[in-house]
Amino acid sequence: MHTDARTLDNGTVLQGDLCIVGAGAAGITIARELANTPLKVLLLEGGGFEFDPRMQDLYRGENIGLPYFPLQAAALHYFGGTTNHWAGWCSPYEPIDFEKRDWVPYSGWPIRRADLDPFYARAQSILDLGPYKYDPGDWKNGDAERVPMLGDSTAIYTKMWQFSPPTRFGTKFRDEIVNAPNIHLYTNANVVEVIANDALTNVQSVRIRGFDGKEIRARAKRFVLACHSIQNARLLLASNHQAREGLANENDLVGRFFMEHLEMPAGELVLADPAKTSTKIYALDFAKRTPRGELAISPTAARAHRVLNGTCSVEPGNLGDEVKSTFQFLDTTLMNAQRAWEKGGRKGAPPTVEQAPPPRTQGLPRFYHLVSRQEQSPNPDSRITLSTDKDALGMPRAKLNWQMTELDKRSMRTFYQILGAEMGRTGTGRVQIHDWLLGDDKTWPSFISGGWHHMGTVRMASDPRQGVVDANCRVHSLNNLYIGGCAVYPTAGAVNPTLTLVALSLRLAEHLKTTT
Amino acid sequence: MGRFGHQPPAGSFYFAVTQSLVLVQFPWMQLDRRHFLQLSALGVAAIVCPACETDRTATLERPRLLDMLGPDRVRVIGKQYLSSTPTETTADALRSAISKSRHESRIPLMPRSLEDQVREDFIKGHTILVDGWVLSVTEARQSALFALSS
Repeated sequence: MHTDARTLDNGTVLQGDLCIVGAGAAGITIARELANTPLKVLLLEGGGFEFDPRMQDLYRGENIGLPYFPLQAAALHYFGGTTNHWAGWCSPYEPIDFEKRDWVPYSGWPIRRADLDPFYARAQSILDLGPYKYDPGDWKNGDAERVPMLGDSTAIYTKMWQFSPPTRFGTKFRDEIVNAPNIHLYTNANVVEVIANDALTNVQSVRIRGFDGKEIRARAKRFVLACHSIQNARLLLASNHQAREGLANENDLVGRFFMEHLEMPAGELVLADPAKTSTKIYALDFAKRTPRGELAISPTAARAHRVLNGTCSVEPGNLGDEVKSTFQFLDTTLMNAQRAWEKGGRKGAPPTVEQAPPPRTQGLPRFYHLVSRQEQSPNPDSRITLSTDKDALGMPRAKLNWQMTELDKRSMRTFYQILGAEMGRTGTGRVQIHDWLLGDDKTWPSFISGGWHHMGTVRMASDPRQGVVDANCRVHSLNNLYIGGCAVYPTAGAVNPTLTLVALSLRLAEHLKTTT
Repeated sequence: MGRFGHQPPAGSFYFAVTQSLVLVQFPWMQLDRRHFLQLSALGVAAIVCPACETDRTATLERPRLLDMLGPDRVRVIGKQYLSSTPTETTADALRSAISKSRHESRIPLMPRSLEDQVREDFIKGHTILVDGWVLSVTEARQSALFALSS
């Protein structure tokens, strides 16, 4: 059932077994898993069913670190969350992403990739993907030329992607959520504070506030904060009436380790003989959503060179082309145009940036742009704190200080050096590394770019001194509070986070179902 | 165009030299024209054809990079190599350096083809960054020779 929280009286107290804060990919996935169970589930969504600029403005924040996109343009604040504008790129994290790597400070998850595999498999269908298969051999699609480059390499391999339509959770699952007898969805229910008991061992309620100043409370036996990574941290930090540094922040970890994926053009590839090297499997065909590959560093090479995980896309072009980073490619004007296009029923061609010029090369393309996609090293100084500025609900805004380490840049440069050596060894071609990547390892160009993938602000670790939540996403210091979404990621992996987010949400839901 | 996309500068001459080489008889070698030309550049052909001296020089100065990147970019690479390697700023020094590297051949009696030498550079990590390109040291030197000659 659904209730617009604006219709409730001031002082209303909602009561449930489980209270989920946030109805994005994580919150909706968890709620669906608990549908038709004996649990009474309160699902609190800050926004409504449609984009509302005033609601979206609640996500506006400060940026005091490296150049970053306006915070209110990244995560979406209405039912369905950021799946309302995500692009649908899916690929699982690799086993090495979960491992403790002694050359990557603060790395290591308390779970393994094998723990997530069954949930990855289930997440595939939720996101309208194909089977849980990510070997290039699985995606030849009857075309003998869809084969990886550098097939014999132990240093570079081809990592496959699948593409969601993309699934809009707000559209696809709205009726299912609203009609579930045990799920009580409240829209326009912005949580502004988490309230614990006096001993700070359990959460008792959350405080919900409207633009008109009206306040209601939600009480439950257990709570899940399933907002996006910045908002989850912000909410815990802003819940500072009982604990000066915020709830769950005894070890000064909440908000730290903010991570992104570095998505930037960083190299060029020239093929020795285009007739002998097929690049079909790397082609991006958004219209057909055909699975595609990216060149990736192997775990063996990552260990040997002590670098981070990363991939690069292989995109036809010409030497000297201006290639844009993700942040440069998609600006707010385009985002709004795409939003309007979706709302209008996707009629006509989707709004896009200017068309890329056709390759000037006669015949088969010889030149390719290499666009990086790399995990960011976990960094405690890359963090979310609270601004002195407040939003319309009186909640301190988020302040982002996005920071890199020497390892981030060195890893990207090493990736291209390895790739270049492998291209040369096999006679496939040559690789050029962009100038900015050849310089010192402390500076980044103005077009440094993430992918709007916010991760790691409420990280997972077995040791409370190293992480806020345990392997089950339960807050170490608050027995009945769980965190959903990418905030719990200890490391970012090389690929986009949504498939892992859904898998992890399924796992959390199973835990919630089987425990009390 | 040849099998590897090269324009033979003097096809009949190569044919004639190839015939000479066949007479020398290396039945264990799978020689194609590219390998032969490179061997020529490194001196083998000189044994059977002293008149090849001019062509040997020309091949050394024509790295395979030319097919991939064209003369302008290879010239840039060559000039950068020259400016960053003070000990190899003359054609003689570059040829000598390539030749010295050649003597690490796996087949002592038979110099490697330049293509093999380049590949071996990559395998052994004898690579160098020039103008951002990850190159074999041999082909970087070839590019420098090209820059000096053009």
